[in-house]
Amino acid sequence: MSSDRKLTVKRLVIFLVIAFIPFCVIVPIMWSYFGEPIYASENEDAAIPVYILGVFGMMIPSCANIITRLITREGFTRSYLGLHTKGKMGYWAASVFVPVAYSLITLLLIIAVFMGDMGISGALEPPDRGKIGLLLFQAAFSVIVFFPAFGEEWGWRGYMMPKLMELMPKPLAVFVGGIIWGLWHAPLTVAGHNFGVDYPGYPFVGIGLMCLMCVALNAFLTLLTEKTQSVYPAAFCHAVNNNLSWGVFMMMLGKEEALEKMQALPTIQSFFLYFCTVGVVGIISFVLLIKKSDTSAA
Amino acid sequence: MSGLIYKNFLINKWSFLFSLITALLCGLVAVLMSIFTGGADSLRQESDAESVTCVFAVLYYLAFMLPSMTTSLLFEADENKTACAFAMSTPQGGKGHVESKYYYILILNIIVMFMLFVCDTITTGLFKGAVSASLILMLFFCWRLFISAIEIPFIIRFGSQRGAAIKGVVVSVLVVIIGIYFLFGDISWLIGTDDPIASFAEWLQSGDITFWISLFPYFAIAAYYISCRISTALFRKGAESYEQ
Repeated sequence: MSSDRKLTVKRLVIFLVIAFIPFCVIVPIMWSYFGEPIYASENEDAAIPVYILGVFGMMIPSCANIITRLITREGFTRSYLGLHTKGKMGYWAASVFVPVAYSLITLLLIIAVFMGDMGISGALEPPDRGKIGLLLFQAAFSVIVFFPAFGEEWGWRGYMMPKLMELMPKPLAVFVGGIIWGLWHAPLTVAGHNFGVDYPGYPFVGIGLMCLMCVALNAFLTLLTEKTQSVYPAAFCHAVNNNLSWGVFMMMLGKEEALEKMQALPTIQSFFLYFCTVGVVGIISFVLLIKKSDTSAA
Repeated sequence: MSGLIYKNFLINKWSFLFSLITALLCGLVAVLMSIFTGGADSLRQESDAESVTCVFAVLYYLAFMLPSMTTSLLFEADENKTACAFAMSTPQGGKGHVESKYYYILILNIIVMFMLFVCDTITTGLFKGAVSASLILMLFFCWRLFISAIEIPFIIRFGSQRGAAIKGVVVSVLVVIIGIYFLFGDISWLIGTDDPIASFAEWLQSGDITFWISLFPYFAIAAYYISCRISTALFRKGAESYEQ
C-alpha cells in the first residue's frame, strides 16, 4: 500500500471514529436514564434531549470533518465549500426539485397502495390560498433546516466520499459510503427513530432499510457534489428531503379521513414505498455517476 | 472572488465581530431567560407561549438589525477614486467588487442566523417544543436581505452617507404607512381583546395574510439578486462621482 493510500485510510478511520462515537455513547446513556427507547418514549422529559440530539447530532459529521483535518494536518484544500454555479444550475435546481418530486410520488403511491378505496380525489383536497401559503412557508423553512443538513453533508459528501473514491472505484464507494451512512443512524434506529420499535424484525429490518435508503440517497447526493464540486446542493437536497417529506404534504393537502388512515399505518410500510421512489432516483444517479467515470477514464 | 470576500472580512473585522457578539448576546439572553424562568414549567396558559415567542422575536430582531447599522462602513472604505480604479483593474473587475460585498452581507447574515438557530434549538428544547421562533428567524433573515437589497444600490450610486439617508427615508415611509393603518385602519382584531399578542398571532394565522407573508422570503431573495445586478450596473457611474 502506497504511503498516500495509507494516509487516506488513516484519515478516513479517524473521521469515522469521531463521527460514530457520539451517538454510540449518548443514545445508550439516554436510553438507560429514561428506561425506554428514547425516540419511541412518551415521557415528556425525554422530549428536550431528543429534540436537541436530533438537531445537533446532524452536525457531528461536520465536526468530525474539521477535527480530522486539524489533527491529521490535512488543511482545508478540497473542502467542497466553493459555490461553482457556472454551468451547473441544473444540478442546483435538481437539488431542490428532485426531493420534492419523489416525496409527492411517494405520497401518491401511499394513497394508491393503502388507500385504494378513497382514490386521489378522495384522499387529497385542492389547496386553498391559506394551505398554499403554509406549504410555501414550509418550503422556505428549508433555509433553517439547511444548517443541520449541511452538518451531515459536509462530513459525508464533503469528506468521507472523496476519501472512499480515492480508495476504491466510484460505484463501490457509493455503496460502501451509503452503508456507512446508514449504520451511523443505527443507534437512533434502535432507539425508535424513523420506524418506531413495533415492527417485525426490529431493529435489524429498520437498520437494513435505512442502509438501503442511504445507499440510494448517497448516489444522488454524491452525483450532485461531484458534478458541482460543492457540498451546498447536497445540503439543500438533504434539507428539502427532511423538510418536505410525503408526511408534510399529506398534512397540508390531505383530507381528515385520509390523514387518520395514514397515521394508523405502520411507519415501516410507508417508508418501504418511500424507499422504492428514492431507489429509482438512486439507480439513475448511479448510472450517471458510472457514465461520468467512464467518460473521464476514456 | 474568495480573495475579495476575504478582503471585506479583513477590513470590516470590527463590525463583523460586533455583529457576531450582538447575535451571541441576544441568543444567550434567550437561552438564559428560558433556563431561569423554568422553561416549559413556566407556561401556565396557551398565550404564555406566544408572549415568550414575542420576546425572543424582539431579541432576534435586534441581533439582525443592530449589525445592519454597520453596512455603510462596508462601503465607506472603498469610496474614493483610487479604490474604485483598483477594483476595476482586478480580474473580476467592478462586478466582482460589488458582488463580493453582497456575498459578505449574505455570509454574515447566515452566520448570525446559524448562531441564533443554535440558541433557538436549545430554547425550543427547554420549552419542550411549545416555543419556537425559528420561522420568525427565517423571516428576519429575509427582511434583513430585503433591507440590504434596497439600501446597497443607493450606497453604490450616491455614496454611503446619502445611501443611509435614503434607507432612512424608505424605513420612515414604511413606519408612516403602518402608523396610518393603526390610526385609521380596521384594527378591531387588536382593540377588541384583552390579549393583543394572542390576537395578533391569530390574525397572522387566519385568512389570506398567511399566503402573502409566505411569498415574502422568495420575494426578498429575488430582490437581493436583482439588487446585486443593479448595483453592478451602477458601480462605474457611482465611482465617477467619488472624490479623489
